[in-house]
Amino acid sequence: MSNIMNSLYNMRILDDLARKETAIHKIHPLVKLLTTVSYLTVVVSFGKYDIGGLLPLLIYPSMVFALAELPVKPIFMRILLVSPFMIGIGILNPFFDHQIYLLGGKEISRGWITFLSILIKSGLTVTAALLLIATTGMDRLAGALRMLKIPRVFVLQLLLTYRYISVLMEEVARTLRAYSLRAPEQKGVHRSAWGSLAGQLILRTFDRAQRIYEAMCLRGFTGEYHTGGFKEIRVWELAYLAGWVLFFAAARIYNIPMVIGSLITGVIR
Amino acid sequence: MSHHKLEAKDLHYSYPDDHEAVNGMSFCIYHGESVGIIGANGAGKSTLLMLLMGVLFPSQGEVCVGDVHVTKKTLSMIRQRLGMVFQDPDDQLFMSTVYDDVAFGPRNYKLDEKEVEKRVLHALELVGILHLKDRAPFKLSGGEKRAAAIASVLSMQPDILLMDEPTAALDPKSRRRVMELLTSFKHTKIITSHDLDMIFEICDRTIVIKNGEIAADGTTSEILVNAELMDKCGLEVPLALQNCPVCGIKKG
Ligand SMILES: Nc1ncnc2c1ncn2[C@@H]1O[C@H](COP(=O)(O)OP(=O)(O)OP(=O)(O)O)[C@@H](O)[C@H]1O
Ligand SMILES: [Mg+2]
Repeated sequence: MSNIMNSLYNMRILDDLARKETAIHKIHPLVKLLTTVSYLTVVVSFGKYDIGGLLPLLIYPSMVFALAELPVKPIFMRILLVSPFMIGIGILNPFFDHQIYLLGGKEISRGWITFLSILIKSGLTVTAALLLIATTGMDRLAGALRMLKIPRVFVLQLLLTYRYISVLMEEVARTLRAYSLRAPEQKGVHRSAWGSLAGQLILRTFDRAQRIYEAMCLRGFTGEYHTGGFKEIRVWELAYLAGWVLFFAAARIYNIPMVIGSLITGVIR
Repeated sequence: MSHHKLEAKDLHYSYPDDHEAVNGMSFCIYHGESVGIIGANGAGKSTLLMLLMGVLFPSQGEVCVGDVHVTKKTLSMIRQRLGMVFQDPDDQLFMSTVYDDVAFGPRNYKLDEKEVEKRVLHALELVGILHLKDRAPFKLSGGEKRAAAIASVLSMQPDILLMDEPTAALDPKSRRRVMELLTSFKHTKIITSHDLDMIFEICDRTIVIKNGEIAADGTTSEILVNAELMDKCGLEVPLALQNCPVCGIKKG
C-alpha cells in the first residue's frame, strides 16, 4: 500500500514545485496564463498533417523546464497518465485514413501521420498546462483567472475540484492502509470488501469535504477566493509575453524548419 | 460589555439519523469568562460547539451572541467575532502552505496584504511554528497541524474563542505553550477537553455534559473535586488533585 501513499505525495508535487523561486516562478501569473493560452491556441491550430511545423513549438516547454528548474520525470509521468486518452482518440485514424503519404521515399498511410500529430499536439498541450500549474500554483492561477473576469463560480469550481481530488486521495490512502494492516496476507482488496469499502469512501469523503467547507465558512469564506495581493505587471514580464507570442505567431505563419533548411541549402548553393 | 455575551437557550439538536446529540441545554457565558466543557466521549461537546458557531442549527431553542440571534442571515457577522478550532485539524487546513492557510481568514475580511502578513507572522509566532510557514500542512505531524490550526484562528483575532480539545496530541512542551497562550488570551474562551488538568488550570467555570444534557455548571474548583459527580459522568478527578502515587500524601 505504500505506493498509494507515495502517489498521494506525488500528486501534491505540483504544489511543491509551484513554491520554487526561479525567474519563471516570479513572473506574474496573468502573464504566464496568457502565454500558455496563446501557446495552446497556436498548437491546436496546426493542420492535421503538419508535423514539421509543430517541432519549433517544442522550444517553449523545454525553455520553461530549464529556466524553472523543474524535474522532468514527475511531470512526464503525469503526461503518461493521460496518454491512454490521447491514444484512444487517435488510434482509429490509421484504419480509416488509408491515403498514401510519401515520407523520405517511404510510403506511409496518412492515418499514421494524423495519429502522430494528435499525439504530439495533445502531448504539447498537456505539458504546457502542467508547466503552468507547476510554475504558478493553483491558488495564484485562480487569482489570474479572476483578473480576466472569469465568473467566480467557475474559478471556484476549478479550485475546489482540485482540492477535492487530494481530499479523496487522502481518504483512499487511509482506508486502504487501515484495510491492509488488518489483512496482511492479501494483495490488494478482497472483492467481498469492495462494496462496503467504496461506499464508506464516498460517505467519508462527502463528510470530510463538508467539514472542510464549513471550516472555510467559519473563517469568513463567502465564495470569493483571496490569494493575497498581486504585484503590478512589470515591463520585462510584458516583454516575456510579447516575445513568446511573436515566436508562436512566427512558428505558425512560417514553417521554420523549412525556412532554415532552405537557408542552409541556399548558402551551400 | 454585553456584546460579548454568548447565550444558549434550551438547545435541542438531533443528527439526521435521529440521534439526539443535544437535549435541552441552557447557559449564558459572559465577557472574559473562560469556560471548560467536559464530558465523556459522545456526550455532545463537539455538537454543542457546532451549534454555538452556527455550523449546525438547533431543531429547537436558539443561540444569541450579544443581542443577535444566530441565524443564516446574521451568520457572517457572528463569525467575524467567533473563532473555532476544530477537533480534527485536518478539517481545518486546506491551503497549500501553512502561511496561506493562516492568511485565509484575514484575507477573506479584505485586509490589505501588509496587515495580513503582520497577523499571520504574529499568530505563527504565538503558537511557535514560525519555521513551518512554507511547509505544506498535510506534511506536518499531528501536533504541528494542531498548532497551525490554532494559528489559523488566532490570525482572525476573534472576540470569543472556541476550542475543541486544543491540547490533544500535543507533546508536553507544546501543551504548555498552548495553555500559556490560552491564559494570555483575555477574551471569552470556551474549551472542550478531556485534559482535566488543563481545564483546572485555565478555566474558572466548568460545564459538565452527560448524554446531551447539562449535568453540572459551576466554578471549576468546586466541580472538578466532586468525585461522585465526575464518576457519574464518566470522568475522574484531575491528576493534580489526586493523591500522590509515590508518597501517598493527600493533596487538595
Ligand atoms: N455526523 C453524525 N451523524 C450522526 N450522529 C453523530 C454525528 N456526529 C456525532 N454523532 C453522535 O452525536 C453524539 C455526540 O457527538 P459529539 O461529537 O458531540 O461528542 P463529543 O462529546 O465531542 O465526544 P468526543 O469527546 O469523543 O469528541 C455521539 O453520540 C455521536 O455518536
Ligand atoms: Mg468531540
